[in-house]
Amino acid sequence: MTEIVEPSPVDAPPVKAPRRLRADLPFVFADRVLVETLVAERREPAWLLEDRLAALALFEALPVESSQLYTPYVDLRAASLDGAAPYVVTGAAAASSSSGLPEGVAGLLEIDEDVVSVAALSDEARAAGVRLLTLGELVATDERLARELLAGGALIPVDEKLAELSRAAWSQGVLVHVPAGVRVEQPIVVRWAVGAPRSVIGRTLIVLGDGAEASVVEELVTSGGVISGAQAMLCATTEIRLGAHARLAMASLQETGPDQVVFQQRRADIGEAADLRWALAQLGARLVRSRVDNVLAGDRSTVEQVEIVFGSSDQLHDLTSYTRHVGRDTTGQLMSKGVLMDRARTYMKGLIQIEKTAIGTDSYLGEFGMNLSKAARAVAIPSLEIDQPDCRRAAHSSSVGPIDETQLFYLESRGIAPDDARKFIVLGFLEPVVARVPLEEAQDRLREALEAKWDAGLAGTGAATAA
Amino acid sequence: MTSTRDLVQDERDQFAFHDDIVYLAQTKRGLTRDTVEEISRFKNEPDWMLQYRLRAYEHFLKRKMPTWGGRLADIDLDKIVYYRKPSEREEKSWDDVPEKIKATFEKLGIPEAERKFLAGVGAQYDSEVVYHSVREELSKIGVVFMGTDQALKEYPEIFRTYFGTVVPAEDNKFAALNAAVWSGGSFVYVPKGVEVPLPLQAYFRINGENTGQFERTLIVVDEGAKVHYIEGCTAPIYATDSLHAAVVEVVALAGSKVRYTTIQNWSNDVYNLVTKRAHAYANSTVEWVDANTGSRLTMKYPAIYLRGEGATAEVISVAVAGRGQHQDTGAKAVHLAPNTTSRIVSKSVSKDGGRATYRGQLKVAPGATGVTASVRCDALMLDDQSRSDTYPYIDINEDDTTMTHEATVGKVSAEQVFYLMSRGLTENEATNLIVQGFLEVFTKELPMEYAIEFNRLVKLEMEGSLG
Repeated sequence: MTEIVEPSPVDAPPVKAPRRLRADLPFVFADRVLVETLVAERREPAWLLEDRLAALALFEALPVESSQLYTPYVDLRAASLDGAAPYVVTGAAAASSSSGLPEGVAGLLEIDEDVVSVAALSDEARAAGVRLLTLGELVATDERLARELLAGGALIPVDEKLAELSRAAWSQGVLVHVPAGVRVEQPIVVRWAVGAPRSVIGRTLIVLGDGAEASVVEELVTSGGVISGAQAMLCATTEIRLGAHARLAMASLQETGPDQVVFQQRRADIGEAADLRWALAQLGARLVRSRVDNVLAGDRSTVEQVEIVFGSSDQLHDLTSYTRHVGRDTTGQLMSKGVLMDRARTYMKGLIQIEKTAIGTDSYLGEFGMNLSKAARAVAIPSLEIDQPDCRRAAHSSSVGPIDETQLFYLESRGIAPDDARKFIVLGFLEPVVARVPLEEAQDRLREALEAKWDAGLAGTGAATAA
Repeated sequence: MTSTRDLVQDERDQFAFHDDIVYLAQTKRGLTRDTVEEISRFKNEPDWMLQYRLRAYEHFLKRKMPTWGGRLADIDLDKIVYYRKPSEREEKSWDDVPEKIKATFEKLGIPEAERKFLAGVGAQYDSEVVYHSVREELSKIGVVFMGTDQALKEYPEIFRTYFGTVVPAEDNKFAALNAAVWSGGSFVYVPKGVEVPLPLQAYFRINGENTGQFERTLIVVDEGAKVHYIEGCTAPIYATDSLHAAVVEVVALAGSKVRYTTIQNWSNDVYNLVTKRAHAYANSTVEWVDANTGSRLTMKYPAIYLRGEGATAEVISVAVAGRGQHQDTGAKAVHLAPNTTSRIVSKSVSKDGGRATYRGQLKVAPGATGVTASVRCDALMLDDQSRSDTYPYIDINEDDTTMTHEATVGKVSAEQVFYLMSRGLTENEATNLIVQGFLEVFTKELPMEYAIEFNRLVKLEMEGSLG
């Protein structure tokens, strides 16, 4: 049964927005009072208070952008979150039955603002020891495991201010735990519905034991609480640990509303011969600041990360990806693609680090942009830091260009109308991510969303036809 | 092996020397407002230049040290002599040059080079141009090639029109320092439609412990004119650190063509922090051909601002970083006008714990339609003590830009070395040949004599490491 707890939000009085610079955080609520309130109201153990306070100290000390490489690109001015008070007490649940589970899915955890609306897991997965539950439930029912996973914030990038905010002030969280040797055939879906003028601060932990296999689809969508013109924040981590020979396909589709501000920090520690495949799609929100850290710690570990952005109107997508090769014979394949309409801005920032120990690395980073509007801006910074030359490959490439005229000509010569031809080329450019989403239904939804966004852009400013 | 190394050392010693010159005028160590005034007074400058220097000095004080790039913390700005004048007046004829200074130049081979085919020589010995000559035929066609100080007096109008317009005093901390204390450097003016048939050449040298060298070069190439300017440098080896903070400004007016070639071989205690920038007007072509083998730390990113329609920019940058060296080099192309083209090629070699960094910027401003740009960076690492980094910044604000960027990092392949050794080469020779081949994109752009000299330099660097 899904246990639903009624929310008891602690509403902060409206704060007058102070004047802020590009790199100033667009809120002031993150302080000791908030952390202590969270722990007291949620009746959390002392070690968790300690951990939250340690994170708060780091949060306060760290700059918004820790990398010297990217400092000039920080721009948070589109966000103003003084009216978006954070949740404190939220729903806690563990998926303990398969009721409410859609077809083709092994598990579903749906968080709607501060409540858990669905928590379901297939009988088969449950029998195999798979766990799908909120972090609140985990702390209440399995403190030992909770402490092991949460204390110290080992899967949080130490130099990331906003990740430390999630660690200090999370009010909702998810754990997907697949024990060693267990193979979950169908994907597990974690859905966050957000958009009420509040701040959702959360964490998602995905832990796969040795030899485990799973796929997770994260969907970030709008809730019924959206008030047009009122900004909302989602500040969330994804913390992944893959044991030896584990395999995880992880998709994330971000389709939140136009007043949503999204801060995402994801980190994966990839064990020996383990394999991680990211498929990330950014469509929604007014401002997204996302960071992915892949740590290829185990020998022969591999990561594939494919990310697309489809930006329009005034959207700003600021995406950073760090890939650290530590073990021997590791492989990294990273590709970002952006399509920009209207006045959209997309920053694709990537850094491959090959450490001295990482003999035999194969690493590739590609960043590709398609600018469809004169007012759009695409920034690509594909960087390399290499301490070990004994590698199979260390390369990056990048390109930014308009729609390829020869492709257009070819399609038109086959009798396809120019507008359709453009659409096909753009959707084809983004298809590599769509095809990697490990759930057919989610694939179809993503295709539809991309197409709808294209059609809206075409109907709106006509910027797309200017290409 | 030992004998080879001794031979190498002997050759290097030719370029590493220190003559005891009696300095006729020099400022006290350290930089104050008085120093700046004193320099201007020594030089008997017009008041506007004094005011310019003072303004720059004020900005220098306010500006923070850069925190990115290389390690600058060891520079002690108070220990540096900012101005030192080795002889009282500019020499017109070789015979009039003081014997001591002449002997230094003999070692560098300047007169020989001049006698052979070079069009003009302006050699900088510490902070003042002491020698310069321009072939008669060049004077006849109106080409001006002289010390920058002299040009301030003799060509005040051209000077004041262009000085400080390409690199403003406020551009960066070291450009501000140069603007405050600049001394020496070359001034070139090529009148409308004149093609200078042979390269203009200037040798720059630092002598004297803790002597800063702050030369200032201004090259103005009038409409339809064409010139190739070459600078190369060697410096004595000292235990304490020397600072070289030059500014080079190039103005390429409509339809002109400028090539600026640098072979930088400062001794390994020199901080080489140089701002080089060109403005390229309509249909002009600017080429930076830039090699860095010397210095302890070089931070240099030759830039081209494409201001006129149809302008073309090309940068070929090579760097060799050996023991204790950090070559933080690269290029910038800023497209401000339609139908402009840029091509950046960077090759770096790191060995013996050296660090080679490519740092580049490619920017396409709104309004710069029809831009074509390409960036290619290749790095070769000769051992696993060394490090190679690539940080390209690509910022595209137009929808019909065609931009490509590629980077690779690799090592000398065992197969290649084996193949060459099977043909009778020693391992050293084989590696050397591979490195020379890797750098050929640069060498083939040099006049033959320079190409030979540069290849010899690379060979010395290589043998020094392996012997």
